[in-house]
Amino acid sequence: MNHFNEEELIDYHYGESVSADADSVARHLRECADCARSYAAIERDLAEIAVPATPVRGEDYGQQVWDGIRGSLRAYPAPERRRWFQFAPGSQWKGLAAVAACLLVIAGAFFAGRLWEHRNPQHPVANNAAGDQGREKVVLVVLGDHLDRSERLLVELKHAEPSTEGPIQAEARELLASNRLYRESVKQAGDPTLANALDHLERVLIEVSNEPAGLSQAKLDELQKEMNTDGLLFEVRVLRSRVQDDVEQRENKPAATKGVSI
Amino acid sequence: MEANDDQIVRAVLAGDKDAYGALVVRHSQSVFRAAFRITGDEADADEVVQEAFMRGYQRLESFESRSGFGTWIYRIAINCALNMVNKRKSATTYQIAEDADPTQQQVQIADHTAGPERTLLSREIEALQATAMRGLTATERTAFILRHMEDRSTAEIAAALSIAPNAAKQAVFRAVQKLRRSLAPLRVTP
Repeated sequence: MNHFNEEELIDYHYGESVSADADSVARHLRECADCARSYAAIERDLAEIAVPATPVRGEDYGQQVWDGIRGSLRAYPAPERRRWFQFAPGSQWKGLAAVAACLLVIAGAFFAGRLWEHRNPQHPVANNAAGDQGREKVVLVVLGDHLDRSERLLVELKHAEPSTEGPIQAEARELLASNRLYRESVKQAGDPTLANALDHLERVLIEVSNEPAGLSQAKLDELQKEMNTDGLLFEVRVLRSRVQDDVEQRENKPAATKGVSI
Repeated sequence: MEANDDQIVRAVLAGDKDAYGALVVRHSQSVFRAAFRITGDEADADEVVQEAFMRGYQRLESFESRSGFGTWIYRIAINCALNMVNKRKSATTYQIAEDADPTQQQVQIADHTAGPERTLLSREIEALQATAMRGLTATERTAFILRHMEDRSTAEIAAALSIAPNAAKQAVFRAVQKLRRSLAPLRVTP
């Protein structure tokens, strides 16, 4: 008599045995006292593993979630309408001919490109180095600008009067999209200090932009106390000057330094 | 008539951002439940729900209707919850102990619910279970939660965790083994 092991019995318990196997397990459990005992023990143990009670969320929970993220999402661009390439129904041959023509043009362009490369050899190393350096510098300048704008927003927030929908919220929404982009890039580049600061900044920006009734005094106080906007302002200042230093360093030492890379 | 999920997805991709709200409203509860079971923390679960729907929106173009939107967003939420758990792992954790040892990050908690023997036993089981759950790897824990608490099949667990079905099955098995081992002391008969 072939006995079933623990893994097979667990599969059977969770209904994972294929139907033929399930039948043979059930039959075997009726006939074999040892396996029946083992299975009973598995059932008892698994029955005792409690499923923790999930906190109740109200019916409007989904709406709350949506209200929370709505401001951070950008609408997808509506698809463009088809024009000259919109074929009449049943004109598949015309469509195929057009596709074939496009393929010919692409193939022609490809071979022309290769021919051009052979005749005009490039110096990729030098070009890439110069290109990378230029690109990194541009990125640093853009990041510096982002931190600069964020710093101004935090200063305004610090001295803001309670108001309904105002320019601070509009600015926060604008910054939010770019901040998310920078945060992801910085995280991937492995700069935890900058990534954490941008993460903190993002939470503040979400709070500010998603306040539907404008910024009340209570909200401003909450931002200051719970989200520590003063501390964040300091962090952003430090990081901005660090990025600025990196930009200057790159200007002075064109090829040697590394600095903040995102 | 209410639009189905696929119709809503098409509307969102055609530029109707607000249509996404209907999907959020429809699937938030189930996503929250799974997120809470994995993170074990209400605030973390709320954060996971928001992040999952935001990621879902940003990746909506890659959504293929082969599986339903509910399944798709559920997988994203599981990933977000796993990330959250891994992020929290490095944070300080405290253990409840009989004799608190601050150097071991242990604390004592007053017990106000003296009860009959059965209550005591189930509390003991819960404590052992909680300890054993902490001993599982993130994958084992999540696989077990999805299997045991969320009633998900091996194929669904594998898809949610981006692992092979056999690996998912093994993860559940290892988790059950460890949990059973943790309950073994209660089974010793005098």
